[in-house]
Amino acid sequence: MTLHCPAPIPARAGIGLRSQHYREILEEPPPVAWMETHPENYFGEGGTALRTLERIRADYPLSFHGVGLSLGSTDPIDSTHLRKLKALFDRFQPTLVSEHLSWSSVDGRFLNDLLPLPYTEESLNLVCAKIDEIQTELQRPMLIENVTQYLTWPDSTIPEGEFIAEVVRRSGCGILLDLNNLYVNAVNFHLDPVQFLDAIPPEAVHEIHLAGFDRVGRWLVDTHGQAVYPEVWSLYQWVLYHFGPRPTLIEWDTNLPPLAELVEQASRANAMLGACYATSA
Amino acid sequence: MPPLHELQRAFAAAMVEGKGLPATTSMRVGPVWRSLALYRRLIRNNYVQALTITYPMLRRLIGGRYFSVFARGYIKRYPSTSGDLFLYGQHFSSFLFSLDAPRMLVELARLEWACHEVSQAAEKPAFTLGWFEGLAVVDPACVKVHLQPTARLLRFSSPVHVVWQTLQPESVAVAEIGRPLPEEEAYLLLTRVEEKIRMAALAALDYRLLDAMADGRQVDEVERMAMEMDPQFDFARFIAALMEMNALAGVSVEEPL
Repeated sequence: MTLHCPAPIPARAGIGLRSQHYREILEEPPPVAWMETHPENYFGEGGTALRTLERIRADYPLSFHGVGLSLGSTDPIDSTHLRKLKALFDRFQPTLVSEHLSWSSVDGRFLNDLLPLPYTEESLNLVCAKIDEIQTELQRPMLIENVTQYLTWPDSTIPEGEFIAEVVRRSGCGILLDLNNLYVNAVNFHLDPVQFLDAIPPEAVHEIHLAGFDRVGRWLVDTHGQAVYPEVWSLYQWVLYHFGPRPTLIEWDTNLPPLAELVEQASRANAMLGACYATSA
Repeated sequence: MPPLHELQRAFAAAMVEGKGLPATTSMRVGPVWRSLALYRRLIRNNYVQALTITYPMLRRLIGGRYFSVFARGYIKRYPSTSGDLFLYGQHFSSFLFSLDAPRMLVELARLEWACHEVSQAAEKPAFTLGWFEGLAVVDPACVKVHLQPTARLLRFSSPVHVVWQTLQPESVAVAEIGRPLPEEEAYLLLTRVEEKIRMAALAALDYRLLDAMADGRQVDEVERMAMEMDPQFDFARFIAALMEMNALAGVSVEEPL
């Protein structure tokens, strides 16, 4: 599928937009290159959230990062959800739009979390068909994000990186590379993250996510409730060196800090992106 | 391996009913129950968080621990049917009612859900007196006044708005429309003004008139109702109060049936 892409978000750091920061952002727009938000937070037909997003959109490029389309579910795509996404998409014209490579519903019942898929030919066909449907509706390629998993299905026949690469090849979508998720999975399941990175096409990576995790028992859990860990910064360094600079988001959803702390994390990512540009020049 | 649909059904059942997974879906790393327990916890936290956002005053009133107990019960009884968590929690007051929870809690939940709806409802341009001026030559028996999609008219058997107001972290005014205001129950009008929720306590008569308007009655019929119940009723002041609350969206001219 050949679809029109708007002007890209610069390969600089952005931050996740959270309602707790609305007032501060409007009063003193922070020095970040772009902002990302969950479109589901703006599915209402009016009110403060939409009005605020309009004002922020005037100053910053936007990325829409969906959490509710349940790409890997055997249920059909929720047409109401997709219609709302399309309406919001037309109104705000985000530069990037992404979803998770996971499922969250079956037989009409939603579990509202990012659940793991077995990586099989059946899943591949299903996910590609769903992506095709969404991209046709939006008339724009979307990005898919690698998710955190707390179990792996024993009968998966395709390694995750190869699965994602094949989804990209078949559907024409891009990749949102979440390095925190990759790191968390690598630790939880004793995997080599570089194996994953070697399997995906670097040119398909259009956005990177950085976030923090928590330790819960024996697990690292992707809570987005901490600053980015040094190990994840190191992985980021590796990716910048091998893939080149990419738009990078500081994701922080729970235990939300003051806006200044998010901006500080974004500045750190920008410094690494700047060094990457300098090296490649 | 079972087909994907069967696997997803089995996983959902494991999440909802606390079951394990069939042997065919055993895990590659670590015990299955540990992974499932973590997913159950993450999913439950998402729902509790969604309910916390929608029902902040109820949570404040009963405390996080009790709120969590109610939330867990609700999650079991009312599965989510959408990827949009803003829609989750609609039946919370009915759920509390089914538990024979104190009336105040049930009504506070109903009020908070209404606030949740009002905060995201579509809004039409504000109503102005110019609308009426343009209708000077029209038979008042043909004129209907329409409420804003952001307006909600609610009736409670307790003064729940007083509790709601007291629980607010910052001072919030509740307007008053009409006299006398009931003491043992509450008639409330919710609207949105400049993106903020506005609440007004209504006298019984004012509530009935507004209810009649919302029901599509013509203006002159509503005014007649008012005069029959209170010959001193100031209808113009009533309309002005509704305009000040941004409760009105416009007028239309329709032949009475």
